[in-house]
Amino acid sequence: MHEVSIAQGLLDIAIENCKKGGYKGIELIKVKIGKASGVMPDSLLFAFEAMKVGTIAEKAVLVIDEIPVSGVCNECKSNFSVDDAYVTSCPKCGHMSLTIETGRELNIDEMEVF
Amino acid sequence: MKVKVVTNILVANERIAAENKKIFEEAGVYVINIMSGPGAGKTSLLERTIRETDGKIRIGVIEGDIAGTDDAERIENLGIPVVQINTGGACHLDANMIREVMNELPLKDLDILFVENVGNLVCPAEFKLGEDMKIMLLSIAEGHDKPLKYPLMFQESSALLLNKIDLLPYTNADLGKIKQDSLSLNPKLNIFDISCKTGEGIGEWVKWLTALIKK
Repeated sequence: MHEVSIAQGLLDIAIENCKKGGYKGIELIKVKIGKASGVMPDSLLFAFEAMKVGTIAEKAVLVIDEIPVSGVCNECKSNFSVDDAYVTSCPKCGHMSLTIETGRELNIDEMEVF
Repeated sequence: MKVKVVTNILVANERIAAENKKIFEEAGVYVINIMSGPGAGKTSLLERTIRETDGKIRIGVIEGDIAGTDDAERIENLGIPVVQINTGGACHLDANMIREVMNELPLKDLDILFVENVGNLVCPAEFKLGEDMKIMLLSIAEGHDKPLKYPLMFQESSALLLNKIDLLPYTNADLGKIKQDSLSLNPKLNIFDISCKTGEGIGEWVKWLTALIKK
């Protein structure tokens, strides 16, 4: 729902890092987006393509690495990893008290510059 | 050439939120971010809370809406300092919006600053504002399926106020299921049954609030 502000945020960070390193432009930006982050990859790509125009990231490709939701059940202590955006009960024992470890990422991981 | 960045994309918002929190702390005001779907009764809760505390707690309000000033006018009519943010379409408040209006309120003369977020059960839970606590309001007429459909907001909140409890006999809502699912998602959740229409449960909520800021 707020992919435009996310796209703007990631462009700002990438461009700032590129300039700081003394490079001319960005060819590729790799981001890690957790499945429970609330960000839809298609909408993010769409916003990114529109907003990169006229910046030093104009030619950049956005690569999105989706991170599954994973964690530990507080009841049976088993580790789980699911494909859904949200997990509300342990896939093994059904208990609902869980410690979520991954799935909420919203990070720039690395980029390729020239 | 490859460059490692490893930065949270919301870093700008998180940084401003941390700065806001510091400003609020220095002013000695406790900040509560109120979230709910549209029409759950956020402004009615504020009106009831203001009346019930009757000046014993000094309250200020930031109103967040996509458009309009109706809510701010309702609060202003009670003689409470209030400032309206119109997001112009954005589905949530962010830290910078708070930063831009915070100085219009007499922060040092307040005990609690309520920030009424945009009515939306999804995005407001994602953006920190610099608050001490998030709470959420769910009107029971919205249905008992909401905790499992919108888990993040229930997980992020410290208190859940179940509003419009007076409507319970007229709905199919299963109050027990709402509470059970909410507590399963967040065992630390404090739950209050309230009705902003009849005033039921408001006393308990205000008692909890009073104890909270005295800590």
